Amino acid sequence: MEKTGAEILLQALRKEGVEVIFGYPGANSLPIHDSLDESPIRHYLVRHEQAAAHAADGYARATGKVGVCMGTSGPGATNLVTGIATAYMDSTPLVVLTGQVTTELLGSDAFQETDIIGITMPITKHSYLVSDPSEVKATVKQAFEIARSGRPGPVLIDLPRNVMAAKFEQSDDEDAAVTVPVKQPVESKKEKKQLQQIANYMNMSERPVILIGGGVKLSQACEELAGLIEKGNIPFVSTMMGIGSVYASNGFNLGFIGTHGNELANRIVHDSDFILTMGARFSDRSTSIVKEFAPLATIAQIDIDPSSISKVIKADISLVCDIHEALTKLTPLVERKERREWLNRIEKERNFLGRDRPMKECGPAGAFIRDVQMAMPEGTIAITDVGLNQIWTVRSWETKTPRGMITPGGLGTMGFGLPAAMGVKVGMPDHGVIVFSGDGGFFMNIQELATISYYNLPVKIVVFNNGHLGMIRQIQDLFYGARFNDIELGNKVDIVTVARGFGIQADRVSVEDSGSGIEKMCTADGPFLLEVLVDPDTYVFPIIPPGRSNIDMIGGRQG
Amino acid sequence: MRMRERIIAMRVNNKPGVLSRVTGVFGRLGYNIESLCVAETISPEISRITSITNADSDFIEKVKKQLNRLVDVLDVTELVPGQSAQREMILIGIDLDQKDRTEIVRSIGMFDCKIISMRSDYCIVQIAGSREEVETVINFLRPFSIDKIARTGVLALRYKDSVS
Repeated sequence: MEKTGAEILLQALRKEGVEVIFGYPGANSLPIHDSLDESPIRHYLVRHEQAAAHAADGYARATGKVGVCMGTSGPGATNLVTGIATAYMDSTPLVVLTGQVTTELLGSDAFQETDIIGITMPITKHSYLVSDPSEVKATVKQAFEIARSGRPGPVLIDLPRNVMAAKFEQSDDEDAAVTVPVKQPVESKKEKKQLQQIANYMNMSERPVILIGGGVKLSQACEELAGLIEKGNIPFVSTMMGIGSVYASNGFNLGFIGTHGNELANRIVHDSDFILTMGARFSDRSTSIVKEFAPLATIAQIDIDPSSISKVIKADISLVCDIHEALTKLTPLVERKERREWLNRIEKERNFLGRDRPMKECGPAGAFIRDVQMAMPEGTIAITDVGLNQIWTVRSWETKTPRGMITPGGLGTMGFGLPAAMGVKVGMPDHGVIVFSGDGGFFMNIQELATISYYNLPVKIVVFNNGHLGMIRQIQDLFYGARFNDIELGNKVDIVTVARGFGIQADRVSVEDSGSGIEKMCTADGPFLLEVLVDPDTYVFPIIPPGRSNIDMIGGRQG
Repeated sequence: MRMRERIIAMRVNNKPGVLSRVTGVFGRLGYNIESLCVAETISPEISRITSITNADSDFIEKVKKQLNRLVDVLDVTELVPGQSAQREMILIGIDLDQKDRTEIVRSIGMFDCKIISMRSDYCIVQIAGSREEVETVINFLRPFSIDKIARTGVLALRYKDSVS
């Protein structure tokens, strides 16, 4: 039977298990929308394409599935760009569909034409321009395989309108013998030797630390990693993206490292003699000054992406491998050890820094976040925006599951939180979903309150309002002679009234006296926005100044 | 780290946009491509790209890893002098007067070049050879009035039995 390109596309998406598309239609994507009503795929109409990409990103991070978003050609496609870049930096599997002008108009500066493939080349794993309906089926299959394999990431499919409208005879059963050009890491002949070497280092080292990156949850290796940690009595730290990979209320979890990380984590890494790094890429936010990062440590690095190995920090031993696979082979080689001396030393350091220190560092905002967590149901997923709100949240929210904390760590995209939370709620309807945002990032995608309201998505929205770009204010305060230029947002907007105008229940509290507001928010049916007034002088400490090492912090206990 | 010419060769899918992805990697890493040669291989769906970049040795690892991330790049190798055959071809257009004419014709024989076209006031000379040979000829011809020059950039193939 003859089908249109659009019908073939939607069938192919179903075959990949797609249930949801976040999108925004336009003239050049209309053939797809025209066929969507016949498809079981649900389309969520956002209010700005950037939000569609963030929502698909949140959906993917929370569910582990591939997120799908769609925009029309030209401005629809360019509006997706920030969302695609965010997903690329944090290795989220996305398939991005863009409408395109008809093939005969390509390259003619037609109305709403942009070279979206050219624009997104550095921020996608791969991209396709589909020039014939016969290519649709294979392209979709390849795109999904590329998006989720290896180090995951976004793949873009550009779909000219006439290709989507054209009819093509494609039999249903003939499952196109598609070869998927996925790059498998070359099976290393030395793998066994490398694993044994890593295990030997671990077994011989006196002060080992495991560094967990975002790759551990991406390869679904969290349980296996917990097994290794317990077997070897190995303390661990994480990057911001690795938070939640291993939940440990015991002493093994030292927190996350880097510019805004926990002092204990930064100091112990500095003192360690061996670091086993898994699925982490040593971003500048994690290492600060590279040459002073963990100066005493031998570094082993396991990653599925060869380009991440030794990119920033030269690994002494490395292995290109899926973390899950590596761990199943590595753990049996690691000896049970007590490591009493090392663990005692860590406990001493923890006591010296103050056991309740992490509780105090984020001030009243931290206390507020912990109160909110107590009031929200078990298994609630927290989403952050970017800025002080992000650091307060990742430090204060106790993340107990690998996908329980969603934060745009790599690109640091303000405006991510609200739309990402929509995507999380759509993907995980049975979980509590709460987003912590600042007033700056909140205003960047405020229009999505309309989407949340329209679909009645029961997302809880916290907006910390200090009337300023708080983290930038802190940087100006500390490193720019307290010259506060261009960071005051003011308090002329009544956020609570605005939210109500969108049809969303809302309330306002001060961060010090928030009990009633928290209760209202957490017991409300449907979406709820809680504006939390915060003093603009409330910052995040300790902080590593630019150009300093991870132990050279302002507001730390030592140094 | 010592800067020198590094030859990177790769096989890629012969499709629109692939070259742009490849050159984008060099640009993003901050390296300039000194020469670039692209053409179909024996199988028409695969192209071979040979590039020269003036760079330190870090470059090789970085660029190889980033190029290997591209779906359309099938393999990447560095070609080292001594373990590979390297040739370049150049066409040079020269404005002539009568005196030049005789001298050029004479020297062409000396250098193993070819005259592709010869008119009373203009000729095009083909030079093919190793980088050094080609440079020697260019240097020799420099005093003449060179009008235009087109170079293929280096083409290279690894000797079969050499190990990289």
